[in-house]
Amino acid sequence: MILLQSPSRFLLQILQDRVQSPEKGVDLDCHSVEFGDVRYHIQISMKKPQVMVLSVSLPIPPPEAIFYSGLPVGAIEAIKAAYGPIVQILDPPKDGYNLTMKLYLSKLPSDEEQRQALLVKIASVREVVLGAPLRVVLKKLASKTVAPDVDQLIALVHRPEESFFLVPQAEKVIVVYPMRFQDSIDIVLASSFLQEFVEARRTAALNNAPPCMWSPSPPFELKGAPAEALTANAGFVTFVIFPRHVEGKKLDRTVWNLLTFHAYVSYHVKCSEGFMHTRMRRRVESLIQALDRAKPDTEKSKKVVQGKSFKRLSLKEARGI
Amino acid sequence: MDAASRPAVVIDNGTGYTKMGFSGNVEPCFIIPTVVAVNESFLNQSEGANKENCLAQYNAGIMADLDFFIGEEAISLSRSSGIYNLNYPIRHGLVENWDTMEKFWQQSIFNYLHCDPEEHYFLLTKSPVNSPEDREYAGEIMFETFNVPGLYIAVQPVLALSAGYATSKSEMTGVVVDIGDGATHIVPVVDGYVIGSSIKSFPIAGNDVTQFVLQLLRERGELIPPEDSLDIARKVKEMYCYTCSDIVKEYNKHDKKPDKYIKQWAGIKPKTGASYLCDIGYERFLGPEVFFHPEIYNSDFTTSLPDMIDQCVQSSPIDTRRALYKNIVLSGGSTMFKDFHKRLQQDLKKIVDDRIDASNARHGVDIKSQPVEVNVVSHPIQKIAVWFGGSAVASMPEFYESCHTKEEYEEYGASICRTSPIFKGMY
Repeated sequence: MILLQSPSRFLLQILQDRVQSPEKGVDLDCHSVEFGDVRYHIQISMKKPQVMVLSVSLPIPPPEAIFYSGLPVGAIEAIKAAYGPIVQILDPPKDGYNLTMKLYLSKLPSDEEQRQALLVKIASVREVVLGAPLRVVLKKLASKTVAPDVDQLIALVHRPEESFFLVPQAEKVIVVYPMRFQDSIDIVLASSFLQEFVEARRTAALNNAPPCMWSPSPPFELKGAPAEALTANAGFVTFVIFPRHVEGKKLDRTVWNLLTFHAYVSYHVKCSEGFMHTRMRRRVESLIQALDRAKPDTEKSKKVVQGKSFKRLSLKEARGI
Repeated sequence: MDAASRPAVVIDNGTGYTKMGFSGNVEPCFIIPTVVAVNESFLNQSEGANKENCLAQYNAGIMADLDFFIGEEAISLSRSSGIYNLNYPIRHGLVENWDTMEKFWQQSIFNYLHCDPEEHYFLLTKSPVNSPEDREYAGEIMFETFNVPGLYIAVQPVLALSAGYATSKSEMTGVVVDIGDGATHIVPVVDGYVIGSSIKSFPIAGNDVTQFVLQLLRERGELIPPEDSLDIARKVKEMYCYTCSDIVKEYNKHDKKPDKYIKQWAGIKPKTGASYLCDIGYERFLGPEVFFHPEIYNSDFTTSLPDMIDQCVQSSPIDTRRALYKNIVLSGGSTMFKDFHKRLQQDLKKIVDDRIDASNARHGVDIKSQPVEVNVVSHPIQKIAVWFGGSAVASMPEFYESCHTKEEYEEYGASICRTSPIFKGMY
């Protein structure tokens, strides 16, 4: 609930339905769009019910983080490593998409748990593809094989036309996000939310979390970056990732959380707005209750015509009692 | 890429189920029950000032306001653990609890659809007897909380007609009989415009049929565990109920050949794990019979559904009546009973023919009016007809121009959402 889930629920649902009852379905041809402009196109034809064609379209990369042959660095190796024999990458991909894969559902492992885990992995195809370069860097950190004199800035795709920056060093990786929001209220809420991040990190319970900083101006790690990347209306967030954050199982989660940081912040900003609305409504109700008490009795017993436009003068009338 | 080049998000919120997905698809991505399970353990601590409430929330866990679930997870969670209370934000087609509705939308957009609301135009659907205030509140929530670039609030019956329009090129004129879980409405639509004054409501809907089936089962003494009773009744209704053409004949059929007609329901008691069997007999055809003889369920109401449809058409402008009779469209989950449309057509045709015969008899031999063609249309996607219509409407290029945009909202305020282009010229 607090974190956005990695596998796409829709993909997972389709996969699970098809795996359970492959003969009962009908032809399927549908589109789905996720945040950050990632599009999926899923096709299953009943002539070959065990084969699913999945096409993925990625966001337009900013000028400093280019895709090689349409995909991030290391994406194809990552897909082959994650999915094995089930997947066959079609080259060239379908028109308008960056990647097209054929999934052979008959080749799934028969063990229930392994099959479920693999289905979840397929549904997280976004994380595998977009997170490939990030994963490479973090794996090097985990195995401590980063060359000590390497100090360059790597730009990775975060959202359409926006990127975030990595500075890999010998014992740590510094990740910097320039945060941009469109709505003025969002900017204010996001800035205070991010500053709260820094405050919360100081509490004792979170000692193992990566240290983070927030600053309204670009931190000095970004001095090699191009100028357009340095404008951010909600400040710059910096995380320092240590090897202990990326060992073993934590690597997947760290990759996903770092990859979708903006979506996460945006989700929480909207949740806080929703919560504020709840409190506003409660306050308005309590004020109307006070007004109600001040009314003379004859006015209160007016009947309200349901469905027509009416002035909301008292809580009772609003609830139609 | 701006929002107009991406598929719009179509969300159809009904009393029982919410259908949501992207436009351009044939079926919705998700069909989930419209229910929210909220953890209200902190709310009960203090009934007093708001300040204490917030402090209690803070102490209960900073993320207490995010501690809720929607849809299927909500139902299963509320059964297994006691701290979650089920909350149904929509009753009888109208939103009653805006807080829960906002939470529901938030989760369905971020967690289920996984999309960013700032990047898509939205299409929401509303019941035809919705007040303009409700549309305003919905627009306010969408624009303020979710920052959508554009919003279109559609009327459910018109979308149901567009669904038929897309599949078989039928007219945009017809009577839409929308029988959902919470509300049944009969809405005449002419050329895409709703005739507001002729909208009729029928007090019996899917939920009532379920209650009736349950009542009959209980009266006969079938053993059903009380926790699941509504659930079981609903499943029985969906699997075994059908519409007959004549009750008396049906009773005879059942009595003569019991093994052909009486079905068995096998279930497992949740508390003890023991299995039990339950017979299903007359309920199979008595359930949907409620629409044609409402007095067997609720003695206050005696007008049957075909009668109401007839009254509705008779109250519309006289030049539209033939076209309306010719195209009576069914939509909604509760119209999926087998042979429902045949029975409706049969009953309605009888009423119309009787009236024409009576008027012919009054006028004598010289003037004979042409027989009125009565046609009840049903098609396989009735259950999601409204969603499908929304998807079809949202994939047309004119859709993006007819939405209320965020710029308009910021300029004029939430009142722009009160009017719908459909109602213009009528109200």
